[in-house]
Amino acid sequence: MKETTTYFKKHPWIGFVIFGIVLAMVPQMAAWGLFKQGYITTIGGTLIYAIAALGLNILLGYSGLISLGTAGFMGLATYISAYLTMDLKLPFEVAMILAILIPTLVGILVGLVSLKIEGLYLAIATLAVSEVLRKTFEELDQFTNGFSGKSASYPLLLGRFQLDKTSTYYLIVVVLVIIMIIVSNLMNGKLGRALNAMRGSEAAAQAMGVNLLTHRLIAFALATMFASVAGVLYVHFIKFSYPSSWILKLSLDFLAMIVIGGLRSIYGTVLGAFIVFALPDLFLKQIPYFENLSYVLNGLLIILVIIFYPNGLISIGHDIKRLFAKLKRGGKTNELET
Amino acid sequence: MATFLQIILRSLETGSIYALAALGIIIIYRTSNTTNFAQGAVAMFNTFVVTYLFNRFGFPLWLAVMGGIMSAIVTGFLIDVLILRHTKKVSPVAKQIITLGLIMIVVGMAPIFFGVDPLRLPRLIDSGDLNFFGASISYNGLFNISLGLAIMLLLFYVLQRTKWGLAVRTTASNEYVARLMGVPTKTVTMAAWGIAGILGVIAGVMTAPMTSVTLNLMDEVQITALVACVLGGFQTFHGPVIGAYIMGIARNLLLFYVSSVWGGQILYILILIFIVFRPYGLIGKKVIKKV
Repeated sequence: MKETTTYFKKHPWIGFVIFGIVLAMVPQMAAWGLFKQGYITTIGGTLIYAIAALGLNILLGYSGLISLGTAGFMGLATYISAYLTMDLKLPFEVAMILAILIPTLVGILVGLVSLKIEGLYLAIATLAVSEVLRKTFEELDQFTNGFSGKSASYPLLLGRFQLDKTSTYYLIVVVLVIIMIIVSNLMNGKLGRALNAMRGSEAAAQAMGVNLLTHRLIAFALATMFASVAGVLYVHFIKFSYPSSWILKLSLDFLAMIVIGGLRSIYGTVLGAFIVFALPDLFLKQIPYFENLSYVLNGLLIILVIIFYPNGLISIGHDIKRLFAKLKRGGKTNELET
Repeated sequence: MATFLQIILRSLETGSIYALAALGIIIIYRTSNTTNFAQGAVAMFNTFVVTYLFNRFGFPLWLAVMGGIMSAIVTGFLIDVLILRHTKKVSPVAKQIITLGLIMIVVGMAPIFFGVDPLRLPRLIDSGDLNFFGASISYNGLFNISLGLAIMLLLFYVLQRTKWGLAVRTTASNEYVARLMGVPTKTVTMAAWGIAGILGVIAGVMTAPMTSVTLNLMDEVQITALVACVLGGFQTFHGPVIGAYIMGIARNLLLFYVSSVWGGQILYILILIFIVFRPYGLIGKKVIKKV
């Protein structure tokens, strides 16, 4: 038993793949009638948000920077992808690459401007940029179709495989698993170590030869890139993009996801996405006023988690185990273990 | 020329709104060491209180504004006592996230108390225009400009010349040493939140007649005020105020002479470019970090 656990710890990708297989069973379970078909859309949407949140978790969790532009960049990617596939009739793959590249470049520009100074400026700069983007989505009619929203279709892979809702869902799961593996590898490698050092002490990290600006910029570029990937998947899964979706509220929801789920935790981010998006949609919608209440609840959870439980809800299992172990010993605390 | 003068006068009015909001942000930044992203949301909530008192309970406007100021003080105190006071061990980034969480709470609660319909709030001074050199400004606009200036002069007087102001400045420069010297830093921080609340609700009441009172009432003011703090620099109290007036004027000039749709957006981008060349703002100086 112990050997298998260490094996899993050594090769975290096995865990991610198994997690992906479990998620991939959702449409089959829906087909068997275990739950409603509509849940596929909800869970697929949640996984898309989890992809964007994983990027933000690198930025906030590892390098301690706040971006309020996640929703804006994600929206930009949805519009570019929809415009290229629907209006210019470009293939899905080309549209996807451009829709990821352009927002990432914009993000790098914003990062270059603001990260030179202090971490706090990034939050304000991204807030201003997301305001500019929101206005662009509303006003630049020929590109975004204004308030009536832009539509797109399910992706056509390699010019011949037309996906439908279920197969697009599988695509989302595959992308999510790939991104989980990428994040895990990056964060356990050189980049992760450098970012961790920066978070501990900027001066010490600099002394060890870590370039602050470059690493912050890489973290922010990754966050923007994953947000764009999420945007592309979103517009080809939900098939619509409205300016009113890409507002500050969504960026705050992303923040809530990673703080509630667990900073620097990959599974925590996915858990956070389920708590923030899927839970209200699947179970709690019937309660009147819930739309606003869930917002209040997320805000409250953010504050409570930060003050009382900074590791996030993902560590709850671990803490309960420790509590039980403590109870088993009859309340005597083992000095060595603590 | 008359148009230009007209634009400048209008800009001074919006400039005072931005300046009040920016001053609220900078006071919190200096005393609680966090950027208060919730300033606009809390101001929106308290403006709703004013509007509700005026529309539903039929209070006269001045009394409703007093009620709003009372509720602003109460909400400010509550935020400090219930939340911010317990964050001494929390990192500055986590504090910022807490203020972002506050936005979610306040924006989520407002519709539960006040409903979802947009409400209207009239101007403090109903009618009347003042003409000079071909440009005209409403008495209300003139009142807003002078009220904004009066509040700011009063605050700067208190900050620079009184014992209380000294306490705030000491807390701002080093909270730990201030406490050692016998400054009641807890009370100072709490008072700062109360004052920021008042500044917010006054800015809100000034903004409300220009649009209708909705959840998004203060969004633009909030973003402009934050950018004004960047423009003016976070190190002084007067920098952001100057930044706010500059932004008010530049915004209206851009809206009129360049593009009526994109003016505001162009301004944000120009300021982002500006901070490449002067990273610490107009007035700010580089803060040297000690290891």
